[in-house]
Amino acid sequence: MRAIKEKTVLFLLAFSAAILLLTFAAIILFIGVRGLSTINFRVITASIRKGGIFESIIGTLYLLAGTIAIATPLGLATAIYLAEYAPKGKINRIIVQALNNLAGVPSIIFGLFGYAFFCRFLGLGISLLSGWLTLTCMTLPIIVRGSQEALKMVPKDFRIAAEALGAPKWKIIKDIVLPTATPGLATSIILGISRVAGETAAILFTCSVFLTKDLPTSPLQPVMVLTYHLYTLLIACPGASTDYAFAIALILLGLVILLNLLAYLIRMHYRKRWKW
Amino acid sequence: MRSKRLKLLCFKDKVEILLSILASISIVILFLIIIFVLKEGFPAFIRLGFSSFLLGRRWAPYYEDFGAFPLLYGSILIVFGSLAISVPLGVSTAIFLAEYSPKWLSDMIKPVIELLASIPSIIYGFFGLTFLAPKIMEFLNISMGKVALTASMVLSIMTLPTIVSISSEVIASVPKEYRKASLALGATKWQTVKSVVLPAAKPGIIASLLLAFGRAVGETVAVLMVCGCVPQIPSPPWNYLEPVHALTAAIALDMGEVSWGSLHYHVLFGLGVILLAITFIVNMIADFFIKKAPRGVQI
Amino acid sequence: MGKTGVLTVAIAAFIVGLLSGSFALAPLLSANQGLTYAYPEDSSWRTESIRVVGSTTVLPIASECALRFMELYNTTSITVEGGGSGRGYSELIGGLCDIATASRKPKQGELDKAEQEGVTLILHKIAIDGIAIIVHPSVTQNLNGPLNLTLEEIGKIFAGVYSKWSEVREGLPDKEILVFVREHGSGTRATFEEFCMEPYGLEVKTGASEVPSNPAMRQSVEQTPYSIGYIGLGFLSGNVEAVCVAVESGGPFYAPTYENVKEGVYPLSRYLYMVTNGIPESGSLIDRFIDFVKSPEGQRIVERCGYIAIYPKE
Repeated sequence: MRAIKEKTVLFLLAFSAAILLLTFAAIILFIGVRGLSTINFRVITASIRKGGIFESIIGTLYLLAGTIAIATPLGLATAIYLAEYAPKGKINRIIVQALNNLAGVPSIIFGLFGYAFFCRFLGLGISLLSGWLTLTCMTLPIIVRGSQEALKMVPKDFRIAAEALGAPKWKIIKDIVLPTATPGLATSIILGISRVAGETAAILFTCSVFLTKDLPTSPLQPVMVLTYHLYTLLIACPGASTDYAFAIALILLGLVILLNLLAYLIRMHYRKRWKW
Repeated sequence: MRSKRLKLLCFKDKVEILLSILASISIVILFLIIIFVLKEGFPAFIRLGFSSFLLGRRWAPYYEDFGAFPLLYGSILIVFGSLAISVPLGVSTAIFLAEYSPKWLSDMIKPVIELLASIPSIIYGFFGLTFLAPKIMEFLNISMGKVALTASMVLSIMTLPTIVSISSEVIASVPKEYRKASLALGATKWQTVKSVVLPAAKPGIIASLLLAFGRAVGETVAVLMVCGCVPQIPSPPWNYLEPVHALTAAIALDMGEVSWGSLHYHVLFGLGVILLAITFIVNMIADFFIKKAPRGVQI
Repeated sequence: MGKTGVLTVAIAAFIVGLLSGSFALAPLLSANQGLTYAYPEDSSWRTESIRVVGSTTVLPIASECALRFMELYNTTSITVEGGGSGRGYSELIGGLCDIATASRKPKQGELDKAEQEGVTLILHKIAIDGIAIIVHPSVTQNLNGPLNLTLEEIGKIFAGVYSKWSEVREGLPDKEILVFVREHGSGTRATFEEFCMEPYGLEVKTGASEVPSNPAMRQSVEQTPYSIGYIGLGFLSGNVEAVCVAVESGGPFYAPTYENVKEGVYPLSRYLYMVTNGIPESGSLIDRFIDFVKSPEGQRIVERCGYIAIYPKE
């Protein structure tokens, strides 16, 4: 009797896991199948004026590049400070608590804040720059958290040895800790990008537009972005270009999967190499 | 010797000062967000009055009626609906991964779950809009596919990775000694899990549920696309087959066209204040439960 | 280096290559898609760029005119956005756009705000549009002809005074009426309410579903049995039934056709506008673009989009 109960429980639990995986497989297949049938080289490279989505793709890349450029130094600096200079104590706890709260803020609030503060208060208007700053605020907690983990994993022995040799603190960080932690840092940055690549609500009214000629030539201009393009297609002109929508969704999905795969591989590869 | 040490100290101080300034930007950002959202939302509360804003039952910006209650109700309704689906499913999967699944299987499944947590919300919304909504309309023979049920289903898919990954970690971190002791006393695996492991992991699991709740309440785009955007309280109030509206969806929908400084503008920020308040409270409670979770208690 | 190592490097190289490749190719690919005309040195307007935001009703006209204009004058740049007449006015008053497109006149609140900001709203009429009341075919399936309604009856349907179709008229199905309306900044909505709701002191019922644009409205009504909505004439197509409207009961009911709107007999018609802050500086890009829309070529585009031209088309 007991054995049957045990088996039933196992079955039910495995079944739940299976449902979970099947649902996700369904989503990916659903988008993949219809999306693949629409995507071709022409669609990706043609300008929106000729029925393609080229500007959206490049605009998204511009947006991501700028965000990484601003968020990475900031995030790294914060993580280094937290891990090396103030690993315990009140200031550490306050910053960590602030970051945790920041991570929990809904993305639409970032959108509201970005609009009220960057676009209006600082007068940057609806521009690439506003988008960069807003998305930096969003991705900061992820980068800091991941970098902190990466820095913590550097064995204490390395540091102790270097200190014993008389190296100043910053030199230790620069030449020993950072290079060792690089894979972990890279992973956290990649995950940070992946989070904002698919972000729609925060850029809704801070930096993106639906139709613009050419790509922005300065950070003070608005930009066309894949997520906003998809959003507008679905909300404002449904039915008109569902095929398009699938193509964009597929590209977004592909981008996110690629980034996650990269992060995963980096982690796996270096975990095998450094066996401490 | 002394001067050298002084030089090193100065250098270290400079770097440290620079880093500490950069690090404190995080605190500054958080404060700025709170201050600005409050600042812009405050006029709405003042001009409309707290209770008529929060408890007002008619949301009709076109007629200058700003009662946020239907929005609040809609948000809570779909989030609870999503938890009803994702909690059993998620916790079961977590138990499976942590206790029953062979290592090779969980090593394969875990990265997949992580990947799923990164999928953009617009993709889930897209799936809900183009696949779930028509199917639900067909299946249940109702007039519209964009109803509270659809929104709950999409939200549950989105929050499952959170529940599964945190819960499975928490369950796995329950000390082995607990299990060994229970098995030594003759209990079966399931009895062990049910009566020993799960209660020990309970605070952590509850934390994961709260985090899922917080994430679901703050979800914007996916909800916007499938909830139906009708600011009403369904009749009867637990009817999931009617369209509803949500706090986040209302903000996103109206923000593009409000005049800067108009009452509607301030009202949207007021909704943002409500949203922030809910998420902060939920996260605080979740934090409390995370701290309660036992970590490697030595017997 | 191991298999995962090679794979990692491969994917990283791929991503980096993709990024740098697109950054490098982007200007090239963009440039290849236009024609270039030589231009005299003193035309500063040729390198200006403007932003046009507003009504989704006017969006097709604005987009097509912008594309055609940029084809003719390759070095100009015109950005076009939808979002509704409300958004257009809001951005124009806030200095975030150069031209607002609108399917309604400004509301009092917008006029006040404009005065406060020192903005003078100048409306340029560019086309005439009709608003069609549309229903799902399931509503009229038992009728022998089109559904005839007066403005007041339409208002009452949207206000929820009638909750089932059978209450409106005999012969209509005994099913609940599902109402779709536009978002609150919509010019189409404003015109609709001006004709059908405000004169009778009615307000749209709470259970009405808001949709954010004309195409979204058509799709919603198309897909939802027993539903009703309103739409700009230029978007009237597909699988929906148009209602014939009369001002008074018993009065002649007119279908929302191009001819009826042009002749002024169809009750629900309105002007479409492009709005600027003050009179546009003569010779500037704003001025030239609006002139283009009013020109014969622009007016032909207006008609192609399904609206009625005001200015001569030849």
